[in-house]
Amino acid sequence: MSTTEVIRPQQLTAGTRKRGVDYYIRKLGPIYLFLIPTFAFLLVFTYYPIFSAFFHSFFRWDGVHGQFVGFQNFRNLFTVDMQFRIAVPNVLKLTAFRVTVALTIPLLAAEIIFGLKNSRMAYFWRVALIIPMVVPWIVLILVWLFIYDPQMGIINTLLKGVGLDKWTRLWLGDMRLALWCIAFYGFPWISGLNLLIYLAGLDAISPELFDAAAIDGASRIRRIRHIDIPMIGGQLKLIFIMTIITQLQNFQDVMIFTNGGPGLSTFVPGLVLYHSAFYYSKMGYASAIGVFLFVIILVITMFNMRFMQSGVEYSPEG
Amino acid sequence: MDLTHSPVMPKPVGRSSFRRDLPANLFLVSVAFFTFIPFYFMIITSLKTTSQMRHFFWTPALPFYFENYATAFSLLQRYFVNTALIAAISVPGILLFSSMAAFVFARYSFPGRTILFWAIISLLMVPTVLTLVPAFIWIKQLRLLNTYWALIFPYIAGGQVFAIYLLKSFFATIPNELFDSAEVDGANTFQQYWSIALPLVKPMLSVIAILNTLSIWNDYIWPLVTLQDNNMRTITIGLRYFQGQYHTNYGPLFAGYILASIPLLVLFLIAMRPFVAGLTSGALKM
Repeated sequence: MSTTEVIRPQQLTAGTRKRGVDYYIRKLGPIYLFLIPTFAFLLVFTYYPIFSAFFHSFFRWDGVHGQFVGFQNFRNLFTVDMQFRIAVPNVLKLTAFRVTVALTIPLLAAEIIFGLKNSRMAYFWRVALIIPMVVPWIVLILVWLFIYDPQMGIINTLLKGVGLDKWTRLWLGDMRLALWCIAFYGFPWISGLNLLIYLAGLDAISPELFDAAAIDGASRIRRIRHIDIPMIGGQLKLIFIMTIITQLQNFQDVMIFTNGGPGLSTFVPGLVLYHSAFYYSKMGYASAIGVFLFVIILVITMFNMRFMQSGVEYSPEG
Repeated sequence: MDLTHSPVMPKPVGRSSFRRDLPANLFLVSVAFFTFIPFYFMIITSLKTTSQMRHFFWTPALPFYFENYATAFSLLQRYFVNTALIAAISVPGILLFSSMAAFVFARYSFPGRTILFWAIISLLMVPTVLTLVPAFIWIKQLRLLNTYWALIFPYIAGGQVFAIYLLKSFFATIPNELFDSAEVDGANTFQQYWSIALPLVKPMLSVIAILNTLSIWNDYIWPLVTLQDNNMRTITIGLRYFQGQYHTNYGPLFAGYILASIPLLVLFLIAMRPFVAGLTSGALKM
């Protein structure tokens, strides 16, 4: 390789104009070569399925034979599908609950850990509350299945033990309680990842701001409201949007806890999609549900990026 | 008044800091109590026979019944191997391909750069439910059902996206002079990537490795639909079937849950420092 010609990245495109084809190959070749594996995988295993989802959402499709039906799948979703009509309010309730929880409880824990004077204790709590993050999701769900178990479960055994037999319930088997049991699992809902993100945000706030607040005599609550929360706006926004996206499409919790039952009481749209595809082979209909969820999530993401101001930018120079 | 001295962050030692922290610690203890109680039950119950469980529900019971672990292990062994194999191929694949792409996006400008980058980043907004069904049919058409590749290929494809997003901003912080001087010394693109760029983003690579191992270890729906052969199942699916078979025989069941948690716990303890450091470097916000 010639050592005289050092190309800065910015100059690369402009500089190529005057040069020959072999220059292109020599300079740009390796660059595109580096991108080939990524795009090969994306093309085959991501872009094609995305295209296929949109395409087949207009078909009656069993995975082999397809028949074009226009918007029929989408129309059925809102007119004849009983499961879906129950699923939409259910997923909204679950999402609202999970978002509220994700924006408050891990933040509270982070504030409390952040406020500890003893730094060794702070480190201890940080690690202790992050560790549950590595317990496999399926293990946590199956243990909660045990907690709710009507015969052997922790809740009913505790209630019987203290003489409150009449408070025992079927929990996940109870039409009116099942959805709230699904929402409640994971109590006290300190997600390790969310806690870490909040702590990182608090750590990044300049100590000068806290000093200024202290000089002005601001109480802890006022400081949190007027300094901490605006300064970690970026983190709050991230967790807000990530929780919404995860919850709107989540159906694996419900699938294991109740699989939609009792009756249809705990169906969510993702589960309707799963049942349509893998119980009834309605692949086109399932694709339409996928497209519907995608559009909703896209709109929410766009709205969030466009209209929700990120945290106040602070620089020491003012 | 002396304003150079920080009035809010004194470093008290010993008893006064203990007393000041007491309400906070009490709160954290109660939070930890509820967080860990399911795991407490998991551990004590995994060491009981069915009759011990009936008589000593809340407390550990002697003698410990370790056979539960042997039972669980013999049943889950196969699933461990499957999951470990799939993760061991997918994760290095994700790290290699995503870092290569992120490197050229951060370092060079070339025709199509912006469009190609957005073609990747916009995938962050595509939920997995959108592609679940078509991807399943596609894998079936490719005759990959019931093979490890049914998981490995999509994991590599999907895992790259967020990794490229994270790594690109980290590569961009490396001063250009570093690469320029390497180029003067005759280092080609690959050498610059491999010996200069990669070593500098090691903490970020370990964050990506852990996050992807976690999500592969935890994935449920995709392996459930693509691996129907019992010998091919991953640990998540295996545990679910195990739970179906053993239903109320909680001893072996909980022993199995604990065994399934150990690999991730070990991984986390090994990689915790770079992981926490990487995550708290302020990269994660909008």
